[in-house]
Amino acid sequence: MRKRLSILSWPKPKGGPHYAICHFCDTVHLADPIPEGSRVNCVCCGATLYQNRPASLVRVTSFSVTALLLMVVVHTTPFITMDAGSLRTTLTLPGAARALISEGTPLVGWGVAIFTILTPLVMAGGLVYVCGPLLFGRSAPGAKFVTCWMSRTEPWNMIEVFLLGVLVSLLKLGKVAELHFGIGFWAFTCLMLCMAAAVAAIDKRELWDRLEVAGTK
Amino acid sequence: MSEIVKSVPRGANKGLAGCHVCEKVAPISVGNCPRCGSHLHLRKRDSISRTLALVIAAAAMYVPANVLPIMSIRELGVLTESTIIEGLVQFWSAGSYPIALVIFIASILIPILKITSLLWLCGAAKGVVPHSAKALGKVYWVTELLGRWSMVDIFVVAILVTMVQLGTYMTITPGPGALAFAGVVILTMFAAMSFDPKLLWDQLEREAAEDRKISKSE
Repeated sequence: MRKRLSILSWPKPKGGPHYAICHFCDTVHLADPIPEGSRVNCVCCGATLYQNRPASLVRVTSFSVTALLLMVVVHTTPFITMDAGSLRTTLTLPGAARALISEGTPLVGWGVAIFTILTPLVMAGGLVYVCGPLLFGRSAPGAKFVTCWMSRTEPWNMIEVFLLGVLVSLLKLGKVAELHFGIGFWAFTCLMLCMAAAVAAIDKRELWDRLEVAGTK
Repeated sequence: MSEIVKSVPRGANKGLAGCHVCEKVAPISVGNCPRCGSHLHLRKRDSISRTLALVIAAAAMYVPANVLPIMSIRELGVLTESTIIEGLVQFWSAGSYPIALVIFIASILIPILKITSLLWLCGAAKGVVPHSAKALGKVYWVTELLGRWSMVDIFVVAILVTMVQLGTYMTITPGPGALAFAGVVILTMFAAMSFDPKLLWDQLEREAAEDRKISKSE
């Protein structure tokens, strides 16, 4: 096991010397390899340059596979069921977007769909597609293209914000009607944690270094 | 203002650009990143004018976002329209202080802070307002990090509209304010993305060079 983990540690691409430029202050650093679990900060402004996450590929792949499975549960089971007298309404993620689209604010509805359904799917699916083959030292066809798009969609992933919105609306509705948490709600909470863990499991720099090494083989 | 610029090698002076997508460092003369193929640039293009344009658009949209109702509630035939601030006051007067505070921070404080901090950052990068590049770099980082959380009010509207469809008893429909508010959040996010914090350090370097010139001539 120990041997296998050492094979999986952060490889350096050919050539060099390798540099790292701080995104905040443009200071050039030599990008030396660092031990797992440590990080490098900019000497000028103190921002994090890169960090070597322990067992990064294994963690990113397992968390994003879990996230994909949870997404199936989230989209097929009810989030919250509300009973008000004889009436019953249920909340699902696509349902929330659809309600906004049909109630006269289609732009906002599409926004909600993009931020809570599409971007998490692109992130989790992309991470599985790119990091899965990398576990075996291969790069999937079009992996670089997918990774480019992942970094573009990352800021628009708003599932944790949506969860806060759910909590706020629950407090608003709790006085009006009786609420029941569905499986979807708990799955969504787990999905949020898994997505956060998956994204934090690998440094962007490490992912691209691995892609470069795998691509030149 | 007179922050000492450490004598560190800077990418722009060496003609080296760090790729914004894959972080590879390559000479700017190459044009496109040798690793991921994206266009290389020393600084984000037209950073300040783009940021300013987006911030002004966001500030303009902030007015309808707060004046127009974000949702209308029809309860037993009586129609009430609710703006963001009215929703906040409702929570506060009902005694839900923590939720009122969350809504206040996410929907009112963060957008205002984002708009002012981005304006301040643009001014600082132009040398119009005094600044410390290190501190403002942190301000920029926080601005980028917190931006998404303003979206919470839009999600609340989406959830309420979905769930409160109780026929004649009570229905909630989204209002035009929701579109404007979503616009504010999205525009400020784009504005934060188009700002380049490296410009703050460029300005600092220019100021230091001017100081040296003055002390030489004296």
